[in-house]
Amino acid sequence: MNAAVIWILIPLLAGLLTLLFAPERFSAILGGALAVLLALTALIFPIDTALLIGNFSLKISASVQVLGRSFTFGVADGPLLAAIYGISALWFFGTQASGTSNRFVSLGLMIVALLTASIAVEPFLFAALILEIAAMLVIVLLVPPYQKPQRGIIRFIIYQTLAMPLILFSGWILAGVEAGPGNLSMTTQAGTMLGLGFAFLLAIFPLNNWIPLLAEEAPPYAMGFLLWALPTFTLIFALDFFDRYTWLRTSQQFSSAMQIAGVLTMTSAGLFAATQKQLGRLMAYAAIAEAGLVLLAFTVQSTEIVNLIFLLLIPRGLELAVWALGLSILKRESYALKFEELRGVARKYPIAVGAIVIAHLSMLGFPLLAGFPARLALAQELAPHALPILFWVYLSMAGLLIGLARSLTVFVLAPEGAAWKLAEDWVQVVMLGVGAIGLFILGIFPQTLQPFIAQLPTLFKHLGQ
Amino acid sequence: MLIALSSSIFFVLALTLVGFNFYQPAERYAWLTAIGGGLLGLVSVFLWQAQMNFGFSLPLWGATKVFATPITFSANGLTWPYAVSLATLAIAILLTSATRLNFENILTWAGSLALTGVGLLAVTADNPLTLLLVWGALDLVELIIQLRSVEGPVNHEKVVASFVTRALGSGLLIWANLVSVAAGHPAGFTFMPAGAGLYLVIASSLRMGALPFHLPYPPTSTLKRGFGTSLRLVSAASSLAVLAHLPSASLASTLTPFLLALIIAAALYSGWMWLRAPDELSGRPYWVVCLAALSIVSALSGNPIGSVGWGCALVLLGGSLFLSSIQHPWLNRALLIGAFSASTLPFSLTAGAWLANLSLLFPFVAIAQTLMLTGYIRHALRASGREAPETQPSWTQTMYPFGIGLLIFDQILLGLIGWDGSRQIGAWALAVSVSLLTFGLFWATPRFRIFNPIRAADGLQRVPSHWLSNLQRPFDYLARMINSALEGDGGFMWTLLVLILFISLMAQGGR
Repeated sequence: MNAAVIWILIPLLAGLLTLLFAPERFSAILGGALAVLLALTALIFPIDTALLIGNFSLKISASVQVLGRSFTFGVADGPLLAAIYGISALWFFGTQASGTSNRFVSLGLMIVALLTASIAVEPFLFAALILEIAAMLVIVLLVPPYQKPQRGIIRFIIYQTLAMPLILFSGWILAGVEAGPGNLSMTTQAGTMLGLGFAFLLAIFPLNNWIPLLAEEAPPYAMGFLLWALPTFTLIFALDFFDRYTWLRTSQQFSSAMQIAGVLTMTSAGLFAATQKQLGRLMAYAAIAEAGLVLLAFTVQSTEIVNLIFLLLIPRGLELAVWALGLSILKRESYALKFEELRGVARKYPIAVGAIVIAHLSMLGFPLLAGFPARLALAQELAPHALPILFWVYLSMAGLLIGLARSLTVFVLAPEGAAWKLAEDWVQVVMLGVGAIGLFILGIFPQTLQPFIAQLPTLFKHLGQ
Repeated sequence: MLIALSSSIFFVLALTLVGFNFYQPAERYAWLTAIGGGLLGLVSVFLWQAQMNFGFSLPLWGATKVFATPITFSANGLTWPYAVSLATLAIAILLTSATRLNFENILTWAGSLALTGVGLLAVTADNPLTLLLVWGALDLVELIIQLRSVEGPVNHEKVVASFVTRALGSGLLIWANLVSVAAGHPAGFTFMPAGAGLYLVIASSLRMGALPFHLPYPPTSTLKRGFGTSLRLVSAASSLAVLAHLPSASLASTLTPFLLALIIAAALYSGWMWLRAPDELSGRPYWVVCLAALSIVSALSGNPIGSVGWGCALVLLGGSLFLSSIQHPWLNRALLIGAFSASTLPFSLTAGAWLANLSLLFPFVAIAQTLMLTGYIRHALRASGREAPETQPSWTQTMYPFGIGLLIFDQILLGLIGWDGSRQIGAWALAVSVSLLTFGLFWATPRFRIFNPIRAADGLQRVPSHWLSNLQRPFDYLARMINSALEGDGGFMWTLLVLILFISLMAQGGR
């Protein structure tokens, strides 16, 4: 058996078959079960290592060639794949509760498969192309059938498409830089191209205006999935760049640019979040702020950089899933998800509102919740060298906190004497409950992530070593 | 491990009561179980004395270097009095609940006991990480309980604002920790560098609930006396306990005098409002703020013993007063022992309060303390609003004084034994002058209209609401403008313009 077949081809085909043949009510269970199976396989069976079960020898080979390109997974990819498909399973199981059509599961499987391919492809620059294909599939996911795409989705695809040539072009220049590292102007050109490419992909300020626009237009659950999936894999791609090019890791100018871009992204997102009156946009700004935070994690001058980045990325999947599911449920009450239509909704949907609040608190780093350990660790790593930077991080968090206060006030502003109800069905209660408990477990016992994180630094030759 | 044992007793007891509530809601043994378990918890806290000073740590969060600080709890001469106060308060709430209409509400007892368990962990938290987690738990619990119990949009808004204020306080605690780490110190209260301690003091002040200044409970709420008292006092004690850990060097800053002035102003204002409050429950937020302010003044003047003394007085005196719902002449007089406990006279609970040099601050602090003491005596002796004992069954007439008596007994006990601030002579001259002033003011209270409590009640209603939204209006406008520019039809061009500016600035910076 081949790793690429298991974690790329099978989910890709499964997604296609689900789209064509699976009945809508079973698609969530089918997609979720397949993702769990793939996660467990990644966790149990080491890649490229023979496993003896009685007389039976089992080995998942690491590499496969397709059209002259290879898709290679190493031993260290196992925990990463387990985390990716584990979190995907949560998203797929949640589709039934969110009322999303089976297109979500099928397209989601295909998107995750493509994104997984982006971390395995060699030469690694081809990842940019695969990310672009995944972005195109996302459009099908976000735009309901027979509906005209709106401004947010068009801007999304423009920005993603602009990123691709910039990254490919920088890769081409970087090959020259490797041959003659003394050429300073070439290095600066490559750095600028690369920075711009990733700025488009990661939606760094001010290239992120499509996110709030799209969050207002698109179904929240699909939007949440997009906010989790694309940036996660783009960041892994960026880590690969960082690992390969020493000058990128050591360039003070590049590090300063990333710090400033991170701070600008975070602070602007926090301040905008404080003024929002639409719940989808609030989630979008929280996700943007987190992207800024991850960018700051890239500037940590420590061997812990990989651990820190994955500590931020893994809980993010759960946070966004819980938040997006809560929003999908509230969307039944108010299609526009605007504050003025949601007054006192906590009395009718207490679990959905509670889950949204918990996910929001987690993304702003509230103690006891999943986002807290990573933020504290990152702040402690940055503090000795960049305390003023942390002030801006705090300002952003304060903005997110005000955003939370405003939405929470709207949720609980019920007229006197309004009765408490439970309008969510049992599937929604279970899914939101499990998600919220998961956020608490990751916040109080972050060591539960250790099996996934411990080996991740070995994915990279230089980073984290 | 004794800390874990004591807090576990309260948690297990709370869970047991929740079980009773679901499976045998009419069972009378629930109350006896709660009392028995609570007493066991209190005894276990007294047992700490056998092992003092001790602590325990939970395993590290991970093998990586980024989680180098374990969750640690420690018991010593400054944390034990808080622990005793909280455990006693829990028992007193259970004993006095027998006299209240909501006697059958098992869940409120479970809540009080669970809060006490969390409170014990908070007062023994030995580093910022540990305290942050416990504060987080308290904040979430308080938010949920308040949102479930209050009615009406204005009250809901105040609950949310109060949660945000406390969260900002937690943020300041993290900031203090980061300042310490940036200076190369290990994460811990005792290692805080100069200036970092000040952030902790501000964090503690924010969390005391001064903003929003008054949080009224609806008259029908079960939170008003028993559980409400537990919620306010446990939360306050958990915020104040941190002050006892701060080394005086960490408070050295040019900002300290300004902060002292602000805190004393808060003490004077809340003391004044407490004196004029129509009843003790309406004045409860002011009591908390006034005692907390006095505790913070002690800490800022480099006297952690004084800070602990005021913190314990907040819980024990406040508890005895707020739980008093029966008109009982002897008990009313016994409550006056509390006045001695807060007088800073020798061998009282607060005798060590003013051991540090207060210099020019002395008159202001003395006035604040006088206002607080006079208010306490006035509310303790107030007859109206309390039920007659004849309306109660005979067994509750026995249990009720025992509950209040325990809180009073603890005040005397802590003045004499068990911690660093016991058997102190203290600043007796200041204490005597405050006592004389208190007698004078108490005499004057019914004789001058300025002390009329009805006007104070009006004042309580004048606390501004919607402050958060008013503050935010200009930012809203600015953000809308930028958003419409970036997201509008010309957004892409604006985006490119900003991007080019950024790149050119970075390129210039690199030259």
